[in-house]
Amino acid sequence: MSYDAYSRWKHAPIEGDPFVSVVIPAYNEEVRIVPTIGAIASHLSSSGFPWELIVADDGSKDSTVELVEGLELVNLRLLRAPANGGKGSAVRRGVLAARGRYILFTDADNSTPIEEIDKLLRKVDTDGYDIAIGSRAATGAEEAHRSPLRRLLSGGLRLFVRSALRVGVSDTQCGFKLFTSAAARRLHSAQTIMGFSFDLEILYLAARLGYRVAEVPVAWIDAPGSKVDPIREVRRFARDLITIKLNDLRGVYAKA
Amino acid sequence: MQQVSRSINDVAVLELSGRFDSHAAPAVSAWMDSVTGRQPARVVVNLSGVHFIDSAALSALVSGMKRCRTGKGELYLCCLQQPVRIIFELTRLNRAFTIFDEEAIAVAMLTDRTIS
Repeated sequence: MSYDAYSRWKHAPIEGDPFVSVVIPAYNEEVRIVPTIGAIASHLSSSGFPWELIVADDGSKDSTVELVEGLELVNLRLLRAPANGGKGSAVRRGVLAARGRYILFTDADNSTPIEEIDKLLRKVDTDGYDIAIGSRAATGAEEAHRSPLRRLLSGGLRLFVRSALRVGVSDTQCGFKLFTSAAARRLHSAQTIMGFSFDLEILYLAARLGYRVAEVPVAWIDAPGSKVDPIREVRRFARDLITIKLNDLRGVYAKA
Repeated sequence: MQQVSRSINDVAVLELSGRFDSHAAPAVSAWMDSVTGRQPARVVVNLSGVHFIDSAALSALVSGMKRCRTGKGELYLCCLQQPVRIIFELTRLNRAFTIFDEEAIAVAMLTDRTIS
């Protein structure tokens, strides 16, 4: 790995369109986001392709915005939001602002190490998939420090999603997903759910529109400070699942 | 994360490898407590095997450094991998710590410090 490559990325704007755009949604992430940005910048600067980083703030009330601005990374764009609109709204703004051929969104806590992007890139850039999603349920995935309650709830939700929405993906919620630019724009333009379970809608739409989705086993380390309350997660998930079905019946996705 | 400790010329050395995060920080803090009880504490933390460090881990290192300095000792870091070096730069903690490329030099500097 070359420190010079990072230094060039830090100081000189990339020429032309990026090969990869990385979008990090951020809400009150002052404690966790800077090390994550460091890890991403180190790995992708060493990759040899042009890339950009987008932090889509979601109306943080802490010093997330000031911290990110203070990093002085010329290929990092900070998108501000006047109010908290939900993780889905932050990802949507980031994806629609991205210029890359491929667009990754990843969580601010580096719970899936950025090195895992290499596996996802192979799926879309070499194997021709439209979308590659990190999965904690696929064979070969590594989960660390995940509570038994969260494992149980996740397993139940997977079964529920498979039977109710016929989304053929085991792990819809892993915050590590890579799209071709065309797929990302089309799917996020049609997105109506702006909260935590927006991924579910995106994957439902992807299946409905016939996109090829690869589920890729990734490492995942549960970071303390997660803002996900397991019980609330299940309730919201069930509510959003019904919303998606109703949306489809009402023709909301007809123009996607 | 794995941690291996040793003593070289009365300098306590902690070698870490893996992901140094909030799950690993308490064990490092406990080790710091054990070696900073004797003053002046001279400590080297070798991060050669660490590929990611989060805020809780950085906080554990800062606390350890402060404890050493309170007792007229010192804590040096060495052998940072590129991602960790960049994280230190972005958090500006590279200005707070003395960082060496090699463990032997860090240990020697602390040994010289005692002699002088």
